[in-house]
Order: sequence, then C-alpha cells, then structure tokens
Amino acid sequence: MDLDKRFIGKKYGPLIYEVGKEKIKEYARAIKNEDPHYIDDEFAKNSKYGGIIAPPTFAVVYAGMLAEPFFKDKELNLNYAMLVHGEQEFEFFDVVRPGDVITSEGEIVGIENKEKLDIVTLEGISRNQDGRDVCKATFTFVIRKG
Amino acid sequence: MSEKVIKIGDTFSAKEDVDKYRTIYYAGASGDFNPIHIDPEFGEMVGLGGVILHGLCTFGFVAKAITDWTGDPGALKRIKCRFAKPVHLGDTITTEAKVSSIEGSKASLELKVTDQEGQEVFTMTSADVEL
Repeated sequence: MDLDKRFIGKKYGPLIYEVGKEKIKEYARAIKNEDPHYIDDEFAKNSKYGGIIAPPTFAVVYAGMLAEPFFKDKELNLNYAMLVHGEQEFEFFDVVRPGDVITSEGEIVGIENKEKLDIVTLEGISRNQDGRDVCKATFTFVIRKG
Repeated sequence: MSEKVIKIGDTFSAKEDVDKYRTIYYAGASGDFNPIHIDPEFGEMVGLGGVILHGLCTFGFVAKAITDWTGDPGALKRIKCRFAKPVHLGDTITTEAKVSSIEGSKASLELKVTDQEGQEVFTMTSADVEL
C-alpha cells in the first residue's frame, strides 16, 4: 500500500540539544577527523572562531534526533525493516560551538509513491540560542513495499 | 570564508581506511546502534555479509576531505549524497573532488566516492564551499 501523501506537512519537534565540548571531540574522533578546530583548545582559541567548533556533520547528532519521532510515528507506521537511508543533504549557515542550545524542527516535505517503493523526505531546520539558523538537514528515506 | 584561492577545474582527493572498530566508535558518538552496524551475526543474517559502516560516517569522511582542503571547516556550506553501496570494515574509501563552477563567493564541487575496488559507494555527491 502506498504511503499516504496526506502526511506531507506533518511536523516533528521541536527537539532541544545542548552541545558539549567533549561530545564534539568524541564525534570528531569517531569520524577520524582530528582537525585541531574540533579537538585542540589552544589552537582553537587562536583561530578565527576563538574556540572549539563542531565539525559541520555534527548536525547528524543534533538534527538527526528528528529521525526518532519520525521513525516511531504510529500514525505514519513506517515499515522500519524495509527502510533505507537513500540520500542526505546538509546546508550550513553558522558554526556550532560548545554550549550552544540547538532547537530542531522537522517536517515531512515530500512523499513519492513508486511501484515498488515509497520515498519520504524529512526536512529539519536547526537554530541556535540566538535564533540563528545553523543547519538545514534533508533526509531522504526509501521504503521498499513488502 | 576560506583563505584559499580556488579555480574551476581544481582537484583534490583523500583516502580513509575503515578500521575494524570504526562502527563501534561511530555508534557511540552518533547514538545509532542499529544492529546492522554493530552485530556481525545480524549483518550476516540480513544478507549484508557482516556489519556495514554507517552511511553518515562515510559522509563524515567526505566532509573531512573537503574541510581539510579548504583549511576552514566553516567554509563548507552544503553537502549532499545518495547512498549507493554499503561500506564494510576493512574497506578503503577514496574521495575525489573537482571544482565544477564558481559563482560569486561560492564554489561548487562534484565528488566521486569509491571503495578499493573502484565501486561508487555514493552517487550524485556534491558540495558548496565559500571562497
């Protein structure tokens, strides 16, 4: 059965994430990225940012939180076993720093029904505590029809 | 803003080895403990031939290739990919990038992301950096 297009426009969040410096370092090391902007306090203090910043793809952590309520949405009732992550896009507007409080809001912006699969696009906007957008995340999931 | 002078046609590349424990580190850091990434028996059972690396970890490798090249992580403004082929432990991921266009202060990159056999693990990979 096709995933109903009436879910386009459905919203998730807001979800709040407080950024920790050690979490940034842990994430940077996990993606094998030891750029001193992320892990070296002394280097970062003397950089143009004046302190540690998060790798751009740290958005996976704060914006990625939106995937959970979306996957667990009983009304949407996605077949999680048949779901794969098809595409990912991030647009970055501002750097993220330790201590930032990031609020992310998600919305289903697209549903396409094909013969053997449905394609769902979830868009997330993340803002910092100053109300500035830091990232737009676009997650595209493909669900094979069983 | 990057201090680098960038021209159309400029290229760069980077390689990353997917070590045996990478999915464990990434699961912890990202919170994604899907068993296909951490449980080899489960990965075998669902036909993946063992655990596969998180697509967004490979995505992180590609972003690193770009930010290492710009020298300024804040210069990366957009990045996109389509996940095409699973990445396994022991694989080596190569990112090859080319500056395809420059408009104002924005340079667009086309990227090719392959494994050690030359198979594309991502397709339609692109990114924008601010000059």
